[in-house]
Amino acid sequence: MSMNDKLAMMANQIARNLQARGDETAIAETADHIAKFWDPRMRKDIAAYLEGGGDRLSPIAAKAVRRLIDRSA
Amino acid sequence: MTRTNITVRLSDDALALACGADAVAAAFEAHGAKVERVSSWGMHWLEPLAEIDGRGYGPLSPQDVSAVLGGKAGVLDIGMIADHPFLKAQTRLTFARAGKTRPLNLDDYAATDGWKGLEAARKSGPDKTIETVLDSGLRGRGGAGFPAGIKWRTVADTSADQKYIVCNADEGDSATFADRMVMEGDPYMLIEGMAIAGLAVGASKGYVYIRSEYPHAIAKVRAAIDRAAAIIAPFELEVRVGAGSYVCGEETALLNSLEGKRGVVRAKPPLPAHEGLFGKPTVINNVLTLAAIPWIMMHGAKAYADFGMGRSRGTMPIQLAGNIRHGGLYETAFGITLGELVNDIGGGTATGRPVKAVQVGGPLGAYLPPEQFDIPFDYEAFTAKQALIGHAGITVFDDTADMSAMARFAFEFCEVESCGKCTPCRIGATRGRETLDKVAQGKDAAANLSLVLDLCETMEFGSLCAMGGFTPYPARSAIRHWPEDFTTSKVKEAAE
Amino acid sequence: MTYQRQTDHGTPASSLEKRVSLTIDGQTISVPEGTSVMRAASQMGTSIPKLCASDMMESWGSCRLCLVEIDGRKGTPASCTTPVTDGMVVKTQTPRLQKLRKGVMELYISDHPLDCLTCAANGDCELQDQAGAVGLRDVRYGYEGDNHTVQAKDTSNPYFDFDPSKCIVCSRCVRACDEVQGTLALTIEDRGFGSKVSAGLKSDNFLNSECVSCGACVQACPTATLTEKSVVEIGTPDRSVITTCAYCGVGCTFRAEMRGEQLVRMVPWKDGKANRGHSCVKGRFAWGYANHADRITQPMIRDSIDQPWRVVSWEEALSFTADRLTTIRDQYGKQALGGITSSRCTNEETYLVQKLVRAGFGTNNVDTCARVCHSPTGYGLGQTFGTSAGTQDFDSVEDTDVMLVIGANPTDAHPVFGSRMKKRLRAGASLIVIDPRRTDLVKSPHIEADHHLALRPGTNVAILTALAHVIVTEGLADEAFIRTRCDWDEYQDWAAFVSDPKKSPEATEMLTGVSADTVRKAARLYATGGNAAIYYGLGVTEHSQGSSTVMAIANLAMATGNLGRPGVGVNPLRGQNNVQGACDMGSFPHELPGYRHLSNDDVRKSFEADWGVALDPEPGLRIPNMLDAAVDGTFKALYIQGEDILQSDPDTKHVSAGLAAMECVIVHDLFLNETANYAHVFLPGSTFLEKNGTFTNAERRIQLVRKVMTPANGHEDWQVTQMLANAIGCAWDYTHPSQIMDEIARLTPTFAGVSFDRLDAEGSLQWPVNDKTPHGTPVMHVDGFVRGKGRFMVTDYIPTDEKTGPRFPLLLTTGRILSQYNVGAQTRRTANSIWHDEDLLEMHPQDAENRGLKSGDWVKLASRSGETSLRLLVTDRVAPGVVYTTFHHPQTQANVITTDFSDWATNCPEYKVTAVQVSASNGPTDWQENYEALTQASRRICAQEPAE
Repeated sequence: MSMNDKLAMMANQIARNLQARGDETAIAETADHIAKFWDPRMRKDIAAYLEGGGDRLSPIAAKAVRRLIDRSA
Repeated sequence: MTRTNITVRLSDDALALACGADAVAAAFEAHGAKVERVSSWGMHWLEPLAEIDGRGYGPLSPQDVSAVLGGKAGVLDIGMIADHPFLKAQTRLTFARAGKTRPLNLDDYAATDGWKGLEAARKSGPDKTIETVLDSGLRGRGGAGFPAGIKWRTVADTSADQKYIVCNADEGDSATFADRMVMEGDPYMLIEGMAIAGLAVGASKGYVYIRSEYPHAIAKVRAAIDRAAAIIAPFELEVRVGAGSYVCGEETALLNSLEGKRGVVRAKPPLPAHEGLFGKPTVINNVLTLAAIPWIMMHGAKAYADFGMGRSRGTMPIQLAGNIRHGGLYETAFGITLGELVNDIGGGTATGRPVKAVQVGGPLGAYLPPEQFDIPFDYEAFTAKQALIGHAGITVFDDTADMSAMARFAFEFCEVESCGKCTPCRIGATRGRETLDKVAQGKDAAANLSLVLDLCETMEFGSLCAMGGFTPYPARSAIRHWPEDFTTSKVKEAAE
Repeated sequence: MTYQRQTDHGTPASSLEKRVSLTIDGQTISVPEGTSVMRAASQMGTSIPKLCASDMMESWGSCRLCLVEIDGRKGTPASCTTPVTDGMVVKTQTPRLQKLRKGVMELYISDHPLDCLTCAANGDCELQDQAGAVGLRDVRYGYEGDNHTVQAKDTSNPYFDFDPSKCIVCSRCVRACDEVQGTLALTIEDRGFGSKVSAGLKSDNFLNSECVSCGACVQACPTATLTEKSVVEIGTPDRSVITTCAYCGVGCTFRAEMRGEQLVRMVPWKDGKANRGHSCVKGRFAWGYANHADRITQPMIRDSIDQPWRVVSWEEALSFTADRLTTIRDQYGKQALGGITSSRCTNEETYLVQKLVRAGFGTNNVDTCARVCHSPTGYGLGQTFGTSAGTQDFDSVEDTDVMLVIGANPTDAHPVFGSRMKKRLRAGASLIVIDPRRTDLVKSPHIEADHHLALRPGTNVAILTALAHVIVTEGLADEAFIRTRCDWDEYQDWAAFVSDPKKSPEATEMLTGVSADTVRKAARLYATGGNAAIYYGLGVTEHSQGSSTVMAIANLAMATGNLGRPGVGVNPLRGQNNVQGACDMGSFPHELPGYRHLSNDDVRKSFEADWGVALDPEPGLRIPNMLDAAVDGTFKALYIQGEDILQSDPDTKHVSAGLAAMECVIVHDLFLNETANYAHVFLPGSTFLEKNGTFTNAERRIQLVRKVMTPANGHEDWQVTQMLANAIGCAWDYTHPSQIMDEIARLTPTFAGVSFDRLDAEGSLQWPVNDKTPHGTPVMHVDGFVRGKGRFMVTDYIPTDEKTGPRFPLLLTTGRILSQYNVGAQTRRTANSIWHDEDLLEMHPQDAENRGLKSGDWVKLASRSGETSLRLLVTDRVAPGVVYTTFHHPQTQANVITTDFSDWATNCPEYKVTAVQVSASNGPTDWQENYEALTQASRRICAQEPAE
């Protein structure tokens, strides 16, 4: 599994587990979770992956990563 | 000519069976008679004893049957049974039905005042029932003589989600058979007594712990419980069978055995009345104690307490055995003397030789010489003479008995039967036996005899339960009353 | 310090509050009601002779030495079985009592060998002492009578001998086995004079009996009948030191009983609050690894992992390492460095490693082995309660009415606490077990679970939600508690979520495999059965839903008000001795000591000020991420203290690839472990016997570890870390671990009141220890949660992606066994292997029959990650469709099979669910053979050059 695939899988897994709390909460909490627990290079990689299409990211995970990108911008 | 259409009543109690009652019954049936199996009258030397229209014939063998039916019984005809002197002088409260009813027949039981005690208890309620038992002065018949009412009151006053009634039917003392006779001859009476106890203390479940050596009693009580289940409900009963240990007659060892554990004695406290079977408050009474209850409930505390002497109230089913002419069950009020029991009622030894000693209270009871035959049958009177009533079994010995061998036997018995928990009993019994052997061999006899007496003190005051605590009684009484049996010369004489 | 036996008051302490006064030998004493006369006397300093009594067990009353006279009572009652009453007047010494005691002792000695001078217990024998105390001078019975003085010894147990000739039949061993350990392996056979101790049937010896070698019987024995082989060999100890066990998270304290610097035996310390004088086979006996020949005591280095090791001086090893680290940092940046702290090491050592990484390496790439065990506990309890810790002390179990044990096998993995649970269960507490496997708690002598929810592995969240569904929809929730203690809105969201009919036991029955009726009954019992406590282990955390499961557990406890008092709570059973401590010490990459996130400026600044360096505010890499990054080329150097990630972490092939990609792997350990196959530097470690420090057990109890012997490698582990730190330019000057603890206390509010002096004085302290709770905190969240209001978390059941299918139709789950410990580095180097010398695969008879397999067959175990082979054990302990194995032996390489799936929140690996296939096999797989060859090559050590 490539690094990107793995990161996407991790992000999706977080999103799926938080989804029951409602999409909006899930997006916010997924973003927070990644910010809080992921090393900067992983965050950078996932952001780059999203920018490059990010087709393996689930909608919530993608929105969460987008929010992270916006936050650091 | 053989009579027909007659009913012969013959006991099916284990002792009668051992004496051949089944073959006799079969012979009667072969001769066309109808045979009813009833309980035993308790006159053992007459078993098998047949009753025809109130008249007794015994001891019978099958060959005697035609003579009996032909009216030619001769010496086997003992006359009207109820008039027999052995019975006539008794006060049979617990054994009122002995010889008269079919053990498992509910109609017979009901027709002879059965269940009236339970009805009375149900009417008067738990508190009054306990009061009645207290006032009757009934004491535990298993040996310790503890007031039954106090035990019941303690259990009743202990709050718990579950309580139990346990009947101690591990009748292991030598010369005892009264429990067996109750269970085989009148099981409903025991069941009724237990149901009353259950009602009184708030126990919903009872166990009858019967020694495995009593297969007939086990079968009878089981069958009786099945048949009486509806009558005693919601109280429930179950039979549990022992596994051949004498100590399991000790109440705490019995509880362990009932729980499926090794039959070793528990230290007290806690008393079983507080923490007994499975840790729950438990009334544990001997068969005779519980069997006395229905009569007391039916006739009232005073009627029972009017019998007896001192603090020993009511009647005691005394069991006469050993080397005795007329062995059997003799129920009478407390206060009768040993002499009356052994000589007048028992007719002296079966061998016809002079009585040398009697042992009262089983293998751990003291040996008493004829000089002490004036002792009345009473707990306190016996205690004062360093003896005990125990379960009221009396074993008679004639003058051929070697009392040093009997003292040795006390230790040997303890050695075989000790549960092994406490040290004085576990090791002391063996050392006692060995040391008495040294005395008998004349090895340092005086020093060793004094060592035995020291050991007796260690065992009496050091043992955990009555097993080790009472083993010194027979040993010491033998040394005290028959010192000549412990001298080397006597031993040598015997050896030559 | 000279050797003294532990005080024994003869009978257990009474827990009653009411006090009574009595007079003993003219002296008045007041004791709690329910105290025995013996104990009362002992507490005032009067020792009444005794042999069968011990305060570890209920009174027994058999030895008859402790007889006393009591005014107004007949006879001479035994003081051990006689409870005190108010105004009682007792005499313990009278001529009559002296004569009786002497009489009893004379009987004892008449059946005892007279070989005191050559006896292993000479000088440490209660019989000898008591014979002296009662003044026995003569045995008038002689010694020719019947006796037991010549009997064959049973030497079958590797750790202790049973010599029945010395037995006095006091039953202490039997009672210890029954009451303390709860195994009921021993009995007295026969009766009367023939009574003797037996390990089960007459045909049994100790080894093949049910005995679990906990040592309770050996400790209880008053003579040389049961004696440690080490005492037989070495002799009796001459001093003792209290220290803390280095095996599981129970944290037993022991007296290391020494002869000089030689350890004679480890004896559980009766004043230890975690173990209350009990032990298991590991802590009690399995310490021989400390002196095992495999132990490496000198530093070693090599340029690359295909070379043999070179033994070098500490200076050379450290400068080699420092060079490499600096070079890598210069070339790849500091984020290419990292470290792993060990849950086996002390708090002080762990703290130093994370400090080295954060302050020395300049990165937050620090993680700990808790990553692979209890990281979801940290996350889950942090989210719901506000802190990552069990809520109770172990004593709390004595007030528990209902135990809910989920994903834990305490009788194997936490045996000393398992025994306490069993004791409480025997006393009447109810039990619910949620576990795919029929563990011993489900059914063993005198223990039977009320409900066993044998769920399909991986469905924990579904089953816990179903339990919550029943509690909420049947109106069993504790609304008063929730309203006062928790956030009511969040509760309502959660309640609505779990009330969904789709979450009901009926709806999830097919999924979990547990009947709806059983789930409903279990839920009702948990909610209404009185004080209910949840105990859980790695069967909860090591799943892709590990964090959700922990939160679901917390939800259940909050919903039923089972928090904040003794007898209830949420209790993670920690796997290793210092998992709790390692987590507390800031071993996780995102947080500093005391569970405070790096992004918290105030916290970070306090450390920066104290350490005098700037800290990176961004989280670092977790272990699996480090390995990923290594494969990816951005992570190059790893300092691993006391952990064997190659064997313990999942997906072995991925771990080895990660390690092989690094340029500097530093293994700091006792042995050349599996990870060391990929290491460039080996720094020898010290055992717990060779160091000072503290461990924190599963109940947050901080206990001292005391050095009893000089480190074989010359340095305690904290010193090694300090040398390494100083080699890369730090200037640390700790001279004793107590200084490290002082620093921890200074920087961590929950540890504010902790110091070695206070631990020494109080024996132990349960954090938080601060101004508000200066003596520590046995039960947490009493008045409010750490985070304020308890937070209900909606936990949706998201099935794992690891699915069974035609290729891999079975589910593999893994666990531990009593005699072995984790990767087995220690226990495999002790005689414990006699009980478990290989990992076995447990399989249900139905599955075995379908495959034509039987017990003892070699089988191939394959998953999508890899395959290995091991031997089969057919048993109905596991359900059809489930297989189970342990992971103690490197030959098995159980983690070749496990996958890279992990907990969504913490990346704790999903060890407990792997889809596998099992088929017949001839022996080891290619992987196993290749690995064995690699290991052989990798462990080569160059012959040492002679010193100049």
